[in-house]
Amino acid sequence: MTPASPPASRLPPHGFWAGLAATAPVVPGAVAFGLVYGVLARQAGLSLWATTAMSVLVFAGAAQFTAVSMWGQASAGLIIATTLMINLRHLLMGASVAPHLLGQPARWKALLAFGLTDESYALAISRYLRGEGSREFLLGANLGLYGGWTLSTLVGGVLGGLVVDPGRWGIDLVFPLTFLGLLVPLLGRPVTVVVAGASGIVAVATAAWLPGKGNLVLAILAGGAIGAVLEAWWTPTA
Amino acid sequence: MDAYGVILGMALATYATRALAIFLLSRRLPPALERFLSHIPAAVFAALAFPPLVAPEGSFAPGLPAAAAAVAAAVAWRTRQIFTTILAGMGSYWLLRWVVG
Repeated sequence: MTPASPPASRLPPHGFWAGLAATAPVVPGAVAFGLVYGVLARQAGLSLWATTAMSVLVFAGAAQFTAVSMWGQASAGLIIATTLMINLRHLLMGASVAPHLLGQPARWKALLAFGLTDESYALAISRYLRGEGSREFLLGANLGLYGGWTLSTLVGGVLGGLVVDPGRWGIDLVFPLTFLGLLVPLLGRPVTVVVAGASGIVAVATAAWLPGKGNLVLAILAGGAIGAVLEAWWTPTA
Repeated sequence: MDAYGVILGMALATYATRALAIFLLSRRLPPALERFLSHIPAAVFAALAFPPLVAPEGSFAPGLPAAAAAVAAAVAWRTRQIFTTILAGMGSYWLLRWVVG
């Protein structure tokens, strides 16, 4: 709904349908990810309903993968705390998109916050930066990913009941490979290489002392702190 | 706590991270906190990726998973596609297991 905009000759880049359409390139990846999540969640011992409920209610791929990989080994509190840590990046994305939503009603903010993902944030913020963003576009992008994620999760959950013994096929390797695939594209900056190296080393070195994946919390805090300190030293701007 | 209790807690934690800034932010975060938060994703991904790849039994002992991960990392650097990275890693892992026996 952009009444002041000029009549568009092509698909208007502002609205709900444009946001939904913009997700087309990334939805196949989300669907593949969702299928794998669904299979692994079932093998970790979650019921089909719990597998699907997690996608419907949480809607956070990396956090859900991590929770499933910790399932049965870590306490509920540690799984929830790790979810919080992994999703701290959304705090930054929310902070970045917040100036564009300042005048919006609380119900719109509440709805858009629920669906804020890496991909929909990236699509929407690029429109905002070009002056073409809108709450409807962000909602459409959120919904495209939400639909792809929840439905593929359900299908993966059904398939997951059929597959057995992930260790035999090395399917459990999909977890670290996924995080490697998320990490490597970030390594263009030297400071990020140091952050990743420090975090990885701390995670491996403290695994024996801090069982139940408590080593991850220490590694993440150490990596974030080292990155913040290095960047404060390296960046001349105050 | 049963499965749905954990899921509800995860949902609340996730929603808090997404909604907090959108509802509260009329001013910027302190720069030091912003710098810290900006490095969290890389730290999270590395902390999750490294132990199963280079220390699958708990202590540092790189083997076939680490070799497969090296291939996957090269593919990730070239393609920047998560699914392609997974396929490359699993493919080389299966190939190595078949070769080594």
